Amino acid sequence: MTENSSGQPSVSPTADESSADARTNGDHDEATATDDASELVGDDLEIGYPTTDEPVVECETVVLPPGEVTALVGPNGSGKSTLLKAMANQHSPSEGRILLDGEDVQTLETKPLARKLGLLSQENESPESLTVEDLVYHGRYPYQGFFDSHTDADHEAVDRAIELAGVDQLRDTQMGNLSGGQKQLVWIAMVLAQDTDLLLLDEPTTFLDLHHQIRVMEVVRSLNREEGVTVGIVLHDIGQAARFADNLIAMKDGELYDWGPPKDVVTEDLLADVFRVDARVDADSPTGPHIAPHRALEK
Amino acid sequence: MASETTSPTEATARRDSRLGWFDRSLFALCLGSVAVIVAGGLVQVSFGAFSMTIVESWQAVFNPDVIFNGDAWRAWLLGTDVPEMNKRSLIVWNIRLPRVFVGIFVGMNLAVSGAIFQAVTRNELASPFILGVSSGAGLLILLTLVAFSGLAVFLPAIASIGGAIAFLVVYAIAWKNGTSPVRLVLAGVIVGTVFQSLQTALFFFASDIGVVQSAIAWTTGSLTGTDWEQVRMVLPWTVVAMVLSLVSSRQLNVLLLGENTAKSLGMSVEKVRFALSGVAVLAAAASIAVAGIVGFVGLIVPHVVRNIVGSDYRKLVVGCVFAGPALMVAADVGARLAMNPVQIPVGIVTGLVGGPYFLYLMRKQDSMGEI
Repeated sequence: MTENSSGQPSVSPTADESSADARTNGDHDEATATDDASELVGDDLEIGYPTTDEPVVECETVVLPPGEVTALVGPNGSGKSTLLKAMANQHSPSEGRILLDGEDVQTLETKPLARKLGLLSQENESPESLTVEDLVYHGRYPYQGFFDSHTDADHEAVDRAIELAGVDQLRDTQMGNLSGGQKQLVWIAMVLAQDTDLLLLDEPTTFLDLHHQIRVMEVVRSLNREEGVTVGIVLHDIGQAARFADNLIAMKDGELYDWGPPKDVVTEDLLADVFRVDARVDADSPTGPHIAPHRALEK
Repeated sequence: MASETTSPTEATARRDSRLGWFDRSLFALCLGSVAVIVAGGLVQVSFGAFSMTIVESWQAVFNPDVIFNGDAWRAWLLGTDVPEMNKRSLIVWNIRLPRVFVGIFVGMNLAVSGAIFQAVTRNELASPFILGVSSGAGLLILLTLVAFSGLAVFLPAIASIGGAIAFLVVYAIAWKNGTSPVRLVLAGVIVGTVFQSLQTALFFFASDIGVVQSAIAWTTGSLTGTDWEQVRMVLPWTVVAMVLSLVSSRQLNVLLLGENTAKSLGMSVEKVRFALSGVAVLAAAASIAVAGIVGFVGLIVPHVVRNIVGSDYRKLVVGCVFAGPALMVAADVGARLAMNPVQIPVGIVTGLVGGPYFLYLMRKQDSMGEI
């Protein structure tokens, strides 16, 4: 729960300050959390899978600064989803640790962790006959004991989540009757019902039409601006990431290539090196750096 | 199904009531099932060597001197001596009704067991039989009958142990940094095949035809000759299994959202999966212990119920508790009367009904398998 934020438009420090701060400040264990927002830090991470010998992701430090939207971008196979899963404690890193406000996520019990950190996976399936409202109620699972029924707090959280995600008119519709974009908004409502201070989203806009892509991003941004929720989001579209995020983390071959505010990170060099695309970048565009790709580059 | 244009007040009212999910389709299903059970039960008690008219048998069943007789219930449920009562009531209550009751409990257990296994594996085609439980139980039953006939009195316990062991073997085979639904089903099929071969092999060592017949009755499932003793045996386990599955409906619902989502909601997926499987094995074992291996009930009933009430496990489990007994009692009427005076094992009837029903579903639905 964040009590601070309502009515304060600028909860987070500006992207410039915080990233500069994070860069000079080597010791991330000291929670720099302002305004009660949560911070997630990965330390000396090596993340692999049982089927691979080499770690898929290796990075010294990765920080999701409190109260900011941080986007992970990179080409397919660069390890951004793997990193996100590890940060959500869905996949244990073989080395290193992940600290949520200074606490190692692996030492936390599963339900308390789910009350602080929400994750929306890339692909989600639900029974077709499940109604939207019932699905959103599942977001309250971490708050319920084995025999508990729903409390007033649950009802309020669900109402709020449904309203924030803008799916009120779909409340009693069955999941099987929704379009892909509507489904994604409902899944986001479920994660919002978890009422966490930190939210991780794995490619929530992929496969959606433009209207729903923008709606999803607007929900995420208003959650961040109005409730001070720290967001980590994997995005496929670097242009979208540049528009919506306070920070970008660009990944290449399992390593962090660069990170910082979009206008520092999104450069023509980065697009050539990381995405292997020849593009022109208009850094002074009012909606964040604007990218005009020309052609794919050979290796 | 719920209409899509519920007004906000209705939605709130629905939410505020604790049993708001108990909707019309579920109510109709339960009512229909009870009607089938009562009708089937009455047919069952009317026919037999000592024949009486349907009215006479009804009177015998609803004889207030028996229904409100504490001594009689003590005799049946605790195994003390049966008090005196008129001949008809004695025959109906002492000989014919227990078979109906056992059928009810077996149907309940198998249906709920199947429903749980289907949620745990997220596969509509899962059942206690696919996951090896029945083949393990069957193998130990045969082994006992053929090789250790002295232990035949412990057959129910042995059957349950066999089922539990087989499931543990399946789970161990499927385990590789955690289990997955597909691996569970595959491991179940593998273990089932091996155990079934061993069962067939054992038939060659059976000393006489009587043993073989008894073995066949066990492995196809039969309610012939069930008595109050079987009711006493199955009742406590049924109560435990049903209560556990009814309170676990939320866990089952969250499991349906898939492993990733369940985990991110803070569920310890492996623990919950294992515990729920334990409940399902308990239910299946309880029914195998009294009726042998009755096929298809655990597969069909959850399926039928899901088609009627949807996949919400709060409704599904309740629906199975009613629909399972309905199928079982109706099938047992067929088993007892179809080839009168010869009684066939009820498992043959459920198989004959279940196969075509599945065929029908396969033709009707485009996709089957995933819930």
